[in-house]
Amino acid sequence: MIQAIADAYVALKEAIFDHALLPTLYAAGLMAWEEDASEWLDFALFGALAVLVSILVCAPLERLRPVENWEGERSTVGTDVTYTLLNRLGLLPLFAFVILQPVETAWAAGLARLGIIPPTLETLLPALRDWPVVTFLLYVVILDFAEYWRHRFQHRFNWWWALHSVHHAQRQMTFWTDDRNHLFDDIIAALWFAGVATLIGVPPGQFPLLVLIMRVAESLSHANVRLDFGRFGRFVIVSPHFHRVHHALDHDAGMPARVHGTNFAVLLPIWDVIFGTARFSRGYPRTGDLSGSERLATGSWWGTQVEGAKRLARTLAGREAGPHPDPLPVAREREPRGDAASHLPRAGEGQGEGARQNPAPG
Amino acid sequence: MHRRSILLGAAASALAVPTFTRASALPAGLVFVLDSRDATVSLIDAARGEVVRRTPTLREPHHLVYSPDRSEIIVGDSAGNEFLFLEPDTGAVRRTLRVSNPYHLLFSPDSQWLTVASLRRNQIDLYRADDLTLVHRLAMPRLPSHIAWSPDSRITYVTLQNSNALVAVEAETARVLWRQPTGDTPAGVVMTRAGQVLVANMGEDTVSVIDPETGQTIRKVQTGAGAHNLFLSPDRLFFYVTNRVAGTITALDAETLTPLQHFRAPGAPDCLDFSPDGRQLWFTQRVGNRVGVIDVETGALVAQIRVGRSPHGILFHAMG
Repeated sequence: MIQAIADAYVALKEAIFDHALLPTLYAAGLMAWEEDASEWLDFALFGALAVLVSILVCAPLERLRPVENWEGERSTVGTDVTYTLLNRLGLLPLFAFVILQPVETAWAAGLARLGIIPPTLETLLPALRDWPVVTFLLYVVILDFAEYWRHRFQHRFNWWWALHSVHHAQRQMTFWTDDRNHLFDDIIAALWFAGVATLIGVPPGQFPLLVLIMRVAESLSHANVRLDFGRFGRFVIVSPHFHRVHHALDHDAGMPARVHGTNFAVLLPIWDVIFGTARFSRGYPRTGDLSGSERLATGSWWGTQVEGAKRLARTLAGREAGPHPDPLPVAREREPRGDAASHLPRAGEGQGEGARQNPAPG
Repeated sequence: MHRRSILLGAAASALAVPTFTRASALPAGLVFVLDSRDATVSLIDAARGEVVRRTPTLREPHHLVYSPDRSEIIVGDSAGNEFLFLEPDTGAVRRTLRVSNPYHLLFSPDSQWLTVASLRRNQIDLYRADDLTLVHRLAMPRLPSHIAWSPDSRITYVTLQNSNALVAVEAETARVLWRQPTGDTPAGVVMTRAGQVLVANMGEDTVSVIDPETGQTIRKVQTGAGAHNLFLSPDRLFFYVTNRVAGTITALDAETLTPLQHFRAPGAPDCLDFSPDGRQLWFTQRVGNRVGVIDVETGALVAQIRVGRSPHGILFHAMG
């Protein structure tokens, strides 16, 4: 079965590359990019596969156990679909790559001239060479740790928040929202990753399936679905419930700093537990960021990009303060016994026209 | 002949399992294939036409050579920043050595020097061959790609893939003797017996014939679209040129450089090596994730063997 899928993938890539991409590059005089193009085709095909799997996993869940529905409201999900397709099919990462690749080359060459060869986990811990799966999982943990702190800084620094608010502005959060990020934010993310790579290397590329699973997990965490992973599972991987609390509206129920100061983890909630930013609550709050403009919330891909850039400019000019003070450690609280006990504003409780909270089935 | 090779190729493609189709006897030996995107070395039992072992590397192996005494096979793992020294008869890793971004590597004919092209560092490194001590590191324009040596081991030639140029460097002094334009996107480079430099121009369908003293292009030989790399046959009678876009391998007369034959070679052919008798071309299919085997007498694609992703460098180690 797996071999058949692998064979089909190779046949598809070969057909596209041999009959479309390669002749196009050749005709356009771009053969210098041929090897990169091959890698990007892999990226795009795996991205397409990740989108397909996300749809197959998340769409039925969103229909079966939705937190909200937005009947009567203008749908803004289409913008997030655009973000997802541009990102996962490799167009935006390609833009970042074209900008950053010469920087990366100059940086690595500069280190080499100084006689510095960046390490990898396996050179730091040679025993890992014999445990490739363990090594890869270790990379996942370390990179997720780095992502946790990048995410905290996105909320900590006003200028960074101005960019990140593009992601948070969405009031109709679905599994498509994962890739909704400002282009500048994506470039910073790539530089962040490069910094980590300089310290510990980059993970091996022979685990596309695991990468695929990670991407689907991140999509699922944004899904409009009533789903928690239970008393123990919630400590293992970020659930839609856990991440929804992070996206909660910040204007209600006396929760301004705290809701945006919680649940930063991308994949592993344990970082929030360790650093005191975890908030496990049974409520399913509405999402969004009311400190941003309406265009930031409901605009097109281009509209939200422009609005994010304007917000950055205003912030840098001192004309707009970030809405969030430092994320505060979450005080320990007793877990509520039910939704009614939640401190968080719940979806559909008197906010926005047409939005209704859906009761959990059963 | 050409039609037959196409038919055999189609038959091989149709047979997904097994991915190996045999149409003639395969010689004894162990074929080392670098799966650049899987970070493995696939070891093919040549006689059986099967992968018998996968040796892991660190990140992204691209090219490999014998050590000067042929006691080891040295694999350059470019993204992993290291050499792996493999046991030729088994493929086992004997040791590793940290080096900067070894993409392509080649020893000088007198075995005194090792040149390394650092594709992603825009650098050329010259190592002392006996103990692999770095002697010179030269900053270069974009993408130093493939390497050749002058027969007297005095000058190393390196293509600059994204700069459309070839550079000649004097090994002892690290002095750049000249840097001259080639065709579009030069990749593979070799010396002829007459002492001329041949460069495959991947952005064209040509091989440039270059004066080694001045770097001037004397003429161009037409091969196939996306001419990528060139290899001299064991009997030194032919050059074989892989044409990435055309999906062919062109045989050139080694003396006159006249194109003699075009073999069908699907899957974006890249590097190749020869069976000990020189009758078979074993070539990597970068996109097809296979190794293809061509019988040069019949032109038939006699086998296609599934390996790892993006197979690049290949070396046929004869045994028995």
